[in-house]
Amino acid sequence: MQVYGHALVFATTLIVCLFVLWLVRRHSIRERFAMLWLTLSVFLLLASSIGYPYLFEIAKFVGVPYPPSALFFLAIAGLVLLVIELFAWVSKLNDRTRILTQRLAILSERLEHVQSISSETTK
Amino acid sequence: MNSISGEGDATGDLSVLIIIPAFNEAQSLPGLIDQLTRLYPRFDIVVIDDGSTDATAEAVRRTRRRLVSLPCNLGIGGAMQTGFSIARDEGYDIAVQVDGDGQHPPDQVQLLVDAIAQSGCDVVIGSRFLSGGGYQSTLTRRLGILFFSTCLTALCRTRITDATSGFRAMNRRAIELLSREYAEDFPEVEAILVSHGASLRVCEVPVRMSVRSAGISSISRLRSISYMVKVSLAILMWYIRKRRASR
Repeated sequence: MQVYGHALVFATTLIVCLFVLWLVRRHSIRERFAMLWLTLSVFLLLASSIGYPYLFEIAKFVGVPYPPSALFFLAIAGLVLLVIELFAWVSKLNDRTRILTQRLAILSERLEHVQSISSETTK
Repeated sequence: MNSISGEGDATGDLSVLIIIPAFNEAQSLPGLIDQLTRLYPRFDIVVIDDGSTDATAEAVRRTRRRLVSLPCNLGIGGAMQTGFSIARDEGYDIAVQVDGDGQHPPDQVQLLVDAIAQSGCDVVIGSRFLSGGGYQSTLTRRLGILFFSTCLTALCRTRITDATSGFRAMNRRAIELLSREYAEDFPEVEAILVSHGASLRVCEVPVRMSVRSAGISSISRLRSISYMVKVSLAILMWYIRKRRASR
């Protein structure tokens, strides 16, 4: 990789890292997800800086002919894990929403019933 | 043999709640509610309006029957679970599911209720294939039903002929279980597995079913494929979990 390209990867991951921290500070994303993004960006930061020479050796060891593609592979694998984590979270939220929707409907019906009784007794 | 005849009124003092999940069934509901009210004056009826966009809620209000309106569409599983929660909270002894589309003839409800009261079964399924009469669905759907029924018969070691039938009655134990654990989409097959996993007895009684009286089925061709895949996966996962738990 050219020096400029190398610097671009480093700068991009650094920006992602800082952006995530900024979002956490603003309470825009929960610490749970921030941790995942930070882990991924710190890993990429290390891989694209001090880990870069080792990347060649690891790539050669696992038989990847073009070492930077190993970096891309790791990045994509990390993103896939993040998406799976989000799916799990969405499923959990879906369960909670379903229970809340059911409780809301039941309590609304009970409230209407009580209101109709009280309006009849006041007549 | 888990098929029972279910003849004669054996409900006595048992409290029964008929749960009608409905999504855009404004046309068929008034007639269904009217028939149920005339046939079973002792039974309570609750309609769960699953976020309908037509005049379902108004149609039910006109019948002066109990209506619980979900603020958004949860699917048949979410709607039924709402009914089970009501039955659990209010201490009903038996809950009966009757679909709002008119496929479940009201005069057959007593068969299910009697079977629960007499047989000692916790869940009673109305099977259209035991009697051989009435509407029995299309060939492709019957093949799908046969597949799931065979799987359930093997896994639960009890004869199931109509795994996807939504015409069911449940006793107190089953109500409590299903109010906690009920699949959101296509829940019928999973409910049998969940009941069997909790050591509840599942039986079938022969019933006659009708063609839906109005509206369109929620299960289109694409959804039928989704049904097969999703429910097959659920069966597989249940089996794996059961094996791991028994180790």
